[in-house]
Amino acid sequence: MFDFVIAGIQAPIFLLVLTGMTVGMVGGFIGVGGGYMVTPALIVFGFPGYMASGIDMTHIAGKSVVATVRHRQLGNIDWVLGLAMVGGTMFGVEQGVRLLNYTKKLGLSGIILLTASVIVMIGLFVYTQLETQKSTKKIGELEKDGRKVGRELSVSKGPRIFQSIPLYPIVRCRTARLVVSMWVIVLVGIITGVLSGFLGVGGGFVRVPALVYIVGASTHIAVGTDLLEIAVSGGYGALRHSMMGNVDMIAVLFMIVGAMFGAQFGSIATSFVRGPAIRYILSYSLILATTGAFLRLFYMLTGSKHEVLSFFAVVFTLGEMFFLCFFIFSLVIFSLRYQKGKPVPAWIPPLVVAK
Amino acid sequence: MAEKSKARGAIKFLFWLIVAVGLFYYAFHSYYSGQMVSWYYYKAATDGYAVHTASFKDASKEKPAMLEIGSFETVHGLQAVPVKKGDRLPVNTDGIITSEVLKKGKRAKVEDRYLKVMVPQEMKEAKGFKYKDTFKHKGIKTNPWSGAWNVGMVLVIGLSLGLLAEGFTDMLGFKVEKIEHFEGIH
Repeated sequence: MFDFVIAGIQAPIFLLVLTGMTVGMVGGFIGVGGGYMVTPALIVFGFPGYMASGIDMTHIAGKSVVATVRHRQLGNIDWVLGLAMVGGTMFGVEQGVRLLNYTKKLGLSGIILLTASVIVMIGLFVYTQLETQKSTKKIGELEKDGRKVGRELSVSKGPRIFQSIPLYPIVRCRTARLVVSMWVIVLVGIITGVLSGFLGVGGGFVRVPALVYIVGASTHIAVGTDLLEIAVSGGYGALRHSMMGNVDMIAVLFMIVGAMFGAQFGSIATSFVRGPAIRYILSYSLILATTGAFLRLFYMLTGSKHEVLSFFAVVFTLGEMFFLCFFIFSLVIFSLRYQKGKPVPAWIPPLVVAK
Repeated sequence: MAEKSKARGAIKFLFWLIVAVGLFYYAFHSYYSGQMVSWYYYKAATDGYAVHTASFKDASKEKPAMLEIGSFETVHGLQAVPVKKGDRLPVNTDGIITSEVLKKGKRAKVEDRYLKVMVPQEMKEAKGFKYKDTFKHKGIKTNPWSGAWNVGMVLVIGLSLGLLAEGFTDMLGFKVEKIEHFEGIH
């Protein structure tokens, strides 16, 4: 047990390192900060609510830098795309926070927040699942015909529509091989920023699908670029939280140590899989987080009477981290087996890379 | 060629390991020396009494804690220092019992030269989770520069850990190569 003087609690270092590691792995793989997983975990460890959010946001900034360094080495970052989006994201986050404060004044923030989370996440889950299933099927068919399929295949028609918008200035993103109006990128940044500011999360789980389905980036580049984005917006969020006194730096440092190991594994694991595999894991993370949020919403709507709902919400949120880590780990193992010509389940080949 | 790359990786790993260890040492030193804590509990954000909350955490309505009021430079145990908004907090204080709380008189009130604390903690909810709400951290203002320090530290530590890990894999000969994003049908 470590005595966190600033937070005023005692908590085991092991749990913080483990949380950092699991969220680091998931975040490094699907390009999210993981705030929706870490904040509840910290509250369960005994950190006060305000402190949990602040520690979470600050650790996300550091962890994203760790993962960004590795994604840079993997060539998964489009700097032009990332930097073009930063301004919109920051503006959006600020508007999202103001919207949240407005709903707070109306006395509705908790319920509105959770309802919005549930709607956004279910919508994204359904679309990502449907699109990824179609893409995986198409990869399987193309490979049966003996054609070489690349690392990415998406059947979404969104990018073609948005890339054809002729609003100047037009931006050329060399790494992502995109030519798109700057306004599309800025708008994506603003919308995802508003959602992340309002929902109090890093926004990766909205931004990664938006980069793939609207801007047209490949999933790997969307993940790397989003982590760069999170490092910037997370840094700003961390500054605000720190100035408000919501951060115990020592808890953050323990989590970053764990995140270093997790983020390495998660980032490197992306080199073993195709884009749809990342999108699958992203969609599962969305639905699992939604279930947790839905249970909490139901708990609040029933006047906080049924403690069992709150308990299951926590169990779901924490269980999700381990489930996703297990899933990522399995994909890497199956990918290695597939590369060596060993037998793998039938659903594996379209998801992994045959070197 | 491979040996050269491994040697370069080892140098990179060692350099960033030293940087990371140095940064962690500096952060922990700031924490244990009390510097980080004094930045955190910096000024009073409201009028009230500065207190050390751990000293009365077991108080109850039946067994209230009686805090001696005075202008102490360091708060030891059951002591309280009257502060106005903007005053620097005395050493060892970690919260303020605000004038509003005292006006209500449900959780704490002033009796002669003593501050009587009856309800040191309440259960509250945030985002559907219950947590203990105490006087700790209440009514205090953090040094704004500590925010910049936190962010600076966390970004530099993140960078050093990332480069350290990169050097480590290079040192082991596990060369991570750039992904071919646009090979084949996409």
